[in-house]
Amino acid sequence: MSFVAWLALGIGVLVVAPYLAHRLRRKRADSRLFAAAHLVPPAPPRARRRSSLEDVALFSTRALAVLALALLGASPLVRCSRLSLQRSSGASVALAIVIDDSMSMRAKAGNQSRFERARDAARELLASAREGDAVAIVMAGAPARVALAATTDLGAARALVDAMPPSDRATDLDSAVALARGLVAELPQIDRRVVLLSDMADGDPDGAPLGEGSSVPLWAPLTDIREPASDCAVLAADRTRKQVRARIVCSHDANAAGRDAVVYSGDDEIARAHVPLTAGSDAIVTLPNDPTTALVLKLSGEDAIASDDAAPVVLESGPGTIAVVADAAEETAVTGGPPVVEQALSALKGSVAIRPIPIVPDRADDLASFIGILIDDPPGFTPEQRHALADFLKDGGAVLVALGPKSAAAPLGATLQPLVDRNVSWTENKSDGADVTKSAARFSDIAGSLANLGAARRASLTQDDLAALELLIPWKDGAPLVARRTIGRGEVELVTLPFNVDASDFPLRPGFLSLLDAWEGRVLERSSPRRQSVGTAWTFPAATSVRIDGPGGPLAVVRDGDLLRAEPSLIGAYQVAFSGGKTEQRVAAPVTREIDLRPRRVAESASTSSVGTTHSQVDASWVVALGLLGLVAFELVLRVRAAQRPVEELA
Amino acid sequence: MAARSALRTSIDWGSLAPLRLRSRHVAEGVYAGGHRSARRGAGVEFGGHRQYTPGDDLRWLDRRSLLLHDRLLVRQFETETDRALRLVVDATASMGYRGTQAPGAKLAFAALVSAALARIALSRGDPVGLSFLGGTSATHSVPVASGRESFERLLAALETSEAGGDAIKDAGVLDRGLSSLARSARRGSIVVLLSDLLDLPKEAPDRVAAVASRGRIVVVVQTLDPDELTLPFDGTMRLRSLEGDVIVETDADAARDEYVAALAELNRTWERALVARGARIVRATTADDPIRVVRSILEAAY
Repeated sequence: MSFVAWLALGIGVLVVAPYLAHRLRRKRADSRLFAAAHLVPPAPPRARRRSSLEDVALFSTRALAVLALALLGASPLVRCSRLSLQRSSGASVALAIVIDDSMSMRAKAGNQSRFERARDAARELLASAREGDAVAIVMAGAPARVALAATTDLGAARALVDAMPPSDRATDLDSAVALARGLVAELPQIDRRVVLLSDMADGDPDGAPLGEGSSVPLWAPLTDIREPASDCAVLAADRTRKQVRARIVCSHDANAAGRDAVVYSGDDEIARAHVPLTAGSDAIVTLPNDPTTALVLKLSGEDAIASDDAAPVVLESGPGTIAVVADAAEETAVTGGPPVVEQALSALKGSVAIRPIPIVPDRADDLASFIGILIDDPPGFTPEQRHALADFLKDGGAVLVALGPKSAAAPLGATLQPLVDRNVSWTENKSDGADVTKSAARFSDIAGSLANLGAARRASLTQDDLAALELLIPWKDGAPLVARRTIGRGEVELVTLPFNVDASDFPLRPGFLSLLDAWEGRVLERSSPRRQSVGTAWTFPAATSVRIDGPGGPLAVVRDGDLLRAEPSLIGAYQVAFSGGKTEQRVAAPVTREIDLRPRRVAESASTSSVGTTHSQVDASWVVALGLLGLVAFELVLRVRAAQRPVEELA
Repeated sequence: MAARSALRTSIDWGSLAPLRLRSRHVAEGVYAGGHRSARRGAGVEFGGHRQYTPGDDLRWLDRRSLLLHDRLLVRQFETETDRALRLVVDATASMGYRGTQAPGAKLAFAALVSAALARIALSRGDPVGLSFLGGTSATHSVPVASGRESFERLLAALETSEAGGDAIKDAGVLDRGLSSLARSARRGSIVVLLSDLLDLPKEAPDRVAAVASRGRIVVVVQTLDPDELTLPFDGTMRLRSLEGDVIVETDADAARDEYVAALAELNRTWERALVARGARIVRATTADDPIRVVRSILEAAY
């Protein structure tokens, strides 16, 4: 027999011997005082009880203490499956942990979700970090963002990981890894590394392997959560009266066979239809009536990710539309076809639709369908038009108005309010172009293109109007060429040249297209699309306060300069309430590429054991020592209790 | 000791107020009192005639008898006197026993009952004396006396008494406690002995019963602990007596019946000896209501 076997036998004897000794000896009879003892007849010795253990608790405590002592002497090392850092030279490490909080991480990996597994792995890594190690945390859900800049405060990192919520964002591994590298690249630690805790499902399975050719080593240890999985998601559910059209996509090599698209009103199912197996086909669900309550479309059955199997039903809406009010009669002779500004907007090939209208509508309802209005050289507005424009601006609309000779010759009773409060004059232009140096920073490129403008006359504003304007691009004499004013939640941009080539060569300059492009971007930014990809920021310019309630409760709204900004991280419907009482519903929809759960490849170097290990040996001596200390304390308590027994019970 | 220290508060003294120390026997007191006296004297209730003796007060000469029968007879009248209460408390070591179910030791209970009896007697002007069987050096007797101060002395003596002494080994314990009593107690005195009767010598029943001679009323109160009635222990026990150095190792379950029978036999022995001399025995346990025990003693003394 080996030494270990003999040692084990010896320990066994130490435990068993006291027990046998207790069992073999006879117990002494309980002794007590009794006044009438002489009246009690003596009994023969056979009446004595054979003793069992007098104090089982005390004996057990001592036996355990002997075992713990023996175990402590062996200095046990427990090998457990957990992530830990490998320190080649024992020096401190700069570690950037990239945690993927995208929707694909909601898929199950054993008993827990992939995200929970990644979070546990982050905790294990932080547990293996030592004093002096620097840790940074980056989230890989799109857009990739820094959750914790490099710090040696490991407690803060642990608290952040504990409080980290999952999300339905898309995945942006490349940006996240680049961010992580940047965070640790300049740190003083020689040993720097990036740990990527992700399922690698970023929708680009054929992309370049991650971690190739990097100066900071990348380690992607979680191979167990990279298994491909099948998932189907409802990207959109649009309703036109009695029909709901659901756009459903499935992951690679998966389909929605046997699954139904079911429309619910609250908890009640009101309609159902089979999901077509053909990729790209929409499921059409016909409603039995025209319900007025909020509807939700859900996929029956189960798949890898449950959160993307439901989507709120919204009224069908197309892309945002910009109305263009331009007098085509005068300009077609010069340019041919639509007015030049309309052609310019179309040439931008933006995501908005262009709709020319002859005049500014008289009713606010007619303007409500537009996200922006471009007006070229308006000959004043009627009172009804002024009211409609004022309401449009108050609700956050955007107007681009070009002032020209017709604006200066407005008929009696027609003014340019609410865009301009006073009359405009069409005066001689003594400036030869825009002043680049005094232009707003964002418009400096545009101003550069307009530095030499051939314009004989220009629109001039009164001092009262000038005081209300924010100068974006000035003429060289300081008068405004492009200016902006805010009205309610909306904003108006004014150009003091009309958009026709007869008045100037302004429409022929590249800066003209850039100006239109910038304005279109601002219009889109201000518009409130009903459905947007999750993770895309919503902005609320000129809003004083906004409250947003979503699937995860109130959504944080932050102020970014002069606008409020919120970023939904969960898919679902959000109710937006403005300070004026106006409310609207917005929907955060899943990103299509996030449904593809095939993992992206990782460079060979990312799995090298020199970076870290998935198994570690932990010294369990302190646990055994603590246990031994507890046993000793417990034995003391037992002894004290035994000493406090009543006197009559003592021998 | 704790129970005795609380002697003044551990009994409802108010409930003792209507109680009286009474007996059918005449008393032979010294002072006027509420008990029928063995002597004749000034009174209103006719008590009989006796032969005239020179020197008798001529006011009580029965002239009718002289005229009718030509005999000189003197008329006598009933008179009333006080009746002494003599308390004898067993303070040997066995009286210090207190079982698991008892509120206090036997000595404490005996002291409580004694105090209650003394209060009753003193409230009617009867003198009370206290003596002990055994006890430690702190234990001291109180001579027969009446009055409020006497009650305070009695209480002090009862409160300071401690169990001690071995009546089996030391035969003098019984002599010292009873001999003076037998000599000094007058006719009609009520002698109350409070004891467990367990560790007394074999001649103790006869010695106690002998006190009941000469017209004295003897009431023996057997004061036991509830454990001593039933032997409520389990399994193998090693029992050591408080007097006599008796150590018995036994199985309590098996010995219980024999023990109860032995106790009954002991009680019968005492009962036979006492009843034969006109003494009474009252049985009580320390778990009993002391007021009820006092009432039983007064009824037995009547």
